[in-house]
This record gives sequence, structure tokens and C-alpha cells, in this order.
Amino acid sequence: MIGSNDLSSARERLATQQAELLNALLAKGPVPAGFDEQRFDVERRALLSKRRGIVRMLGPAVADELGDRFRPLFDAYAVENPRRAGSRAREDAASFADWCRAAGELSVKRKTRWKFWQSN
Amino acid sequence: MAGITDLGVGIGWRSEIDLTVERLPGVDFVEVVAENLHIGHLPESVTLLLERGVPVLPHAVSLSLGGADPVDLHRVEHLGKIAEAVGAPMVSDHVCFVRAGGLDSGHLMPVPRTKDALDVLVANVKLAQENLPVPLALENVAALLEWPDGELTEGQFLAELVERTDCWLLVDVANLYANARNIGTDPERFLDEIPLERLAYVHVAGGEQHGDVYHDTHAHAVLPEVLGVLDELCSRVRPPGVLLERDDNYPSDTEIASELAAIRAVVDKYRD
Amino acid sequence: MATPTTAQVARLSAEEAGYLTAGPGRAAETVLARLIDVGAVRVSRDGHVTAVLQHDYQATTSVEARILSYARTPVQFDTIVRSTANCTEMAALHQYLRDRGLVQRPRRGNPVWGLYLAVAFLLVLLSFSAPVVLLGVPVAVAIALWQRGRKAVTAAGKEALRQVTATDRVHAVALHGFCGKINGRPVGELFDLSQSIVRMLPLKQSRKRRSSSDSAGGCGSSCSSCGSGCGSSSCASSSSCSSSGSSCSSGSSCGSGCGGGGGGD
Repeated sequence: MIGSNDLSSARERLATQQAELLNALLAKGPVPAGFDEQRFDVERRALLSKRRGIVRMLGPAVADELGDRFRPLFDAYAVENPRRAGSRAREDAASFADWCRAAGELSVKRKTRWKFWQSN
Repeated sequence: MAGITDLGVGIGWRSEIDLTVERLPGVDFVEVVAENLHIGHLPESVTLLLERGVPVLPHAVSLSLGGADPVDLHRVEHLGKIAEAVGAPMVSDHVCFVRAGGLDSGHLMPVPRTKDALDVLVANVKLAQENLPVPLALENVAALLEWPDGELTEGQFLAELVERTDCWLLVDVANLYANARNIGTDPERFLDEIPLERLAYVHVAGGEQHGDVYHDTHAHAVLPEVLGVLDELCSRVRPPGVLLERDDNYPSDTEIASELAAIRAVVDKYRD
Repeated sequence: MATPTTAQVARLSAEEAGYLTAGPGRAAETVLARLIDVGAVRVSRDGHVTAVLQHDYQATTSVEARILSYARTPVQFDTIVRSTANCTEMAALHQYLRDRGLVQRPRRGNPVWGLYLAVAFLLVLLSFSAPVVLLGVPVAVAIALWQRGRKAVTAAGKEALRQVTATDRVHAVALHGFCGKINGRPVGELFDLSQSIVRMLPLKQSRKRRSSSDSAGGCGSSCSSCGSGCGSSSCASSSSCSSSGSSCSSGSSCGSGCGGGGGGD
């Protein structure tokens, strides 16, 4: 058994370690001591790619409109805006779209046009 | 606590392949991602599977049990309610952390294999167990990074966790293979060290080798090497269930069926 | 590209037939139908379309390739039809049909055309007392004809379309749409698609929209039938524009960049 004091100090030490790791992986913080830097980069890219894929899936229209610019723009956005704990993936996608609009990379309102359409 | 019932061979239910899962031959049980389901309105497909008597096991990805913060009881409560809604015999999450320092990694991050991390994990798991209506199984994750100063092997770490919390184990052989490739875990030693009598079921998934790194993508075919790890496991213990996880780039029904058949063949090899 | 001849009736592929029947939206539906037919995409109960990972399937047209690219990640049924209807590949199909003389730039009809006809008639009556007024008749008739507008599909296009019959389920979509019926049976059923999925598609726009001043009525009804995917902006633009030609320009917004969709490392 461990005492509650021991546990809370264990939580504190672990919190510092984990926060440093995520800060380095998600927000370009310094790589904590003892990690393989090359592997760290692989992990960073993997996390970024996963997040990018989710945002693309949730907002295909934005990704379509951005075309080739989607990836570099998303990567720039992601480092500036690491996902906050408690946020939802949908919020991430919406916030990326807002970020792009603010940067003038996305039209303010995307028009969807139905023309010459007489389905059914 | 009673042993886990025989589950057979299953597949991770995903909404994109709901109709496929429904019509695939040889699906004895399914797993649903608890966070994707809402209390009160289960997907039609899940209801249909339940009506057919197919066990549905909720699998959580966001409890962050290995995180430094005490486990979020709202998330635990949701998981418990989903378990009740589908009448599940057990639920699961991972030995990992997801959130730290106000950030969300969006992924299952490995915890350092230290006494500190184990103490915190144990406390979180116990709190979760107290608030869950069914037993909890915990899964080993795939790591691209190795924390420095690990005090225990992964197998020892999990064995201690089971010892102290009486949780069940969900062994992902693809993750085990990934760790063997990426951070030098010895799969045989891992299997020797974990209490196999506490094995709830097994995950199998596909991945891809990229240079010197194996990515556990759940979007590629299952490698023969991963089935090799499954074989190794089955040679030691008869797993109550084995489940194929596929999360993206879904192949044809035929191809998924053949992956399930390949898994079944390995399991049946050791069935007397 | 093929040159139109009067003697020879053009043969149409299913997606071309879909285009001539009801425009790029229907052509998109038809291509999607074909991909479902060959098992290259799957549709889930909640209407998500996902490409089936198939190493041996090669898209036979550029529009097919576009849909497969869109569907590398799950896309809502109506979204994929809409995106495909507006993509550059569809614009190219339009151009191809135009080059073959099967479609033309349509002119929007104006309900006042009848008025000009009435004027022409009036002038004829007046010419009995003042023959010089007769000079105004051809002018009024010309204006009336102009105001009446013209359809996007040419006579050759209509002739080509007459050769097409719903011999299989893909052609059934081309001619009737997923929302349509064939022999009293919903076409969607041929693909095991529930009504809740096919109803995501906007239904036929009321012909009245052409005569109503702001087409608010028709717009509202089309919105209510097409679910969350159809925002108010789509209604506004659909009612304001009947030219298929200009849909090509909007297609450029989903240009070549889409091709790499879903990539990653």
C-alpha cells in the first residue's frame, strides 16, 4: 500500500514528465532528456499525421478548398494550436477552418452550387 | 471474479463497415469504441447484432488511466453506461495516457515504466473499477518512443498492475510486435511475464513498416509476423477471444473475411 | 473529341446519360452507382461512403477516380454527390458533351416571354390600321423567343438519350436517380440503400422556381428534403442559376488539390 502523500507526489512527478513530453511532441517544446531525438521526430510526425487525417475526415470541404495547401497549413496551425485536453476533434476541425479564414486562406463562406440539377 | 466466457473470433465494429460486419461469416463477437456511442441511441447495426446474440464489448480510448491526473469519472460513467446498454460482460481501455499538461495527444501514449507511474496507474484503475458495473481489461499499447529510466519490463509492469488491481489483460499482439520492432521488447519474455490466466482476449491488427519503424496503423493488412506472435501466445494459453481491429482503408468483405479466417486458423491450431 | 453528325446518334455511357437526364448531380449519382455496383465503394447504414481498398480496381473515368479519391475517408452520401457534381472532372465531362453537340449553354427563361408574344399579336392586329407597325412584329417575336430561354440538352442530346434504357441498376440511376422509382420500385433499393440515405439528396427542384420571383418556396422544400448537408447557401445559389455551363467555373474550387486527399505518412 502507498500513502496518499506518496501518491500525490508520484502524481506530481509523473505530471511533469508527461507534460514535458506532450509539450515537446505537440507544441515544439524542448525534447526531454533521455529520449532518442530521431525517434522523437517520428512520433511527432505520426501524431501530426493522425490529427491531420481526422481533421481532413471531419472537414472534407475545407481540405478540398485548400487542396495542396491543406497539409502545410494544417501543420502550421497544429504547432501553433496543440489540441487542448477536453477539446473535441470536431472543435479542432472547426478551429482550423477559422484559423484559415483569419489567415485569408479560405473563402469566408463556401458556396455550394447546385446547377442544372433535377434529380428525381 | 469468474473467468471470462469464450468469445471466439471477432472484429471491431466501425460505422463505416457496419453492413460488412453484419454479413461477414464467423463474427462471434464485436467491440465498439465507447466514445463513439451515445447512451439512448445505439446504432441500428449494433442493436441488430445484439438481437442476434452477438456479444458487444465496449472499448474505451480516452480514460487516460496512465495519466498523472485522477481518472475522469464522467468518462468512466459513460463507459459503464455503454456497457449496461449493450449488456457487455466487460469493458476495456489501455495502459496509456492521452492527456497531460492541458494538452491532448489524440493518441495512446506509453507511460514510463517506473514505480511512480505504476502507483498512479494502479490508483486510477482502482477508482475506475469502483465506478464500473463490469470487470475492466487493460491493453498494452504500441510505442514509437521508449521512456528513459524504465525500472520494469513491459511484462513485469503489466504483471504488477494485475497483481495490484485484479484487472484483466487485453493483449494486443500487433502492439507487442510493434514494440518488438520499435523499442526492442522481447515478445516471448513479455508472454512469460504476464499472468496469462488473467487474459480477457486478444487484439490483432495490421500495420506497415516505414524504414526502420513499424507503424501500427490498423489500416493495412495483418502481417504474418503478427500472426506469428498470436501463434506464440496460443501455444501458451487458449485465448478466450481474438478480435481483429481495422480502423481505416477498409478492404473488401472477402479480404476482411480471409483475415478473420487466418486468425481462426491460428487459434484452432491449438484447440484440442 | 468526336464530332457531331446528324446521321449518327451518339452512344452514351451511363454517366453521360445521367448528365443529359438531369445534369452533373445525376451524373455524379450515376458514377457513384457504378462504383457501388463494382464493389469499389461501400455505403454504411448512416450513409457514409468509403472507398474499398482494392489494388486491382482501376477507375475507368476521371470522375470515377475523383469519387474514389474523395471516399478515401468516409464522406456523407449527399456530400460526395454534391462535391462530385461540382468538381473539375465533371466540368470536363460537360465540355466533352458540349463538344459533341449534346448539350449547349442554356438560357434562363423569363416568364415575361409570353408578354412579348402578346405584344407581337397586338401589333399584328394594329397593323390592319397602320401597316408600318408590322415591322415591330419580328422584333417582338425575337425577344419572346430569347426570353423563353433554351434547354441545356440539344436535340442531338435528346435523341441520344432516347436510345438509353434502364437495362441495369446503374442505368436506372442515370435515368431515374437514386431517389427515383423504376417499375414502382425505389431505385435506391436496387443498391440496398435505405430511403434515409437516398433522401439526403436534394429532390427535384420545383419548376415553379423559374416563375416565382425569389424561388423561396422551391428552395425551402429542397432544403427540408436534403438534410444537414444542404445549407441555405446551396439553396440560394441553386435557385439563382440554371446554367450548367457556369458550374464549370465553380468546379475549379475543388481543383487538382483534392487528388491527394487522405494522404499522410
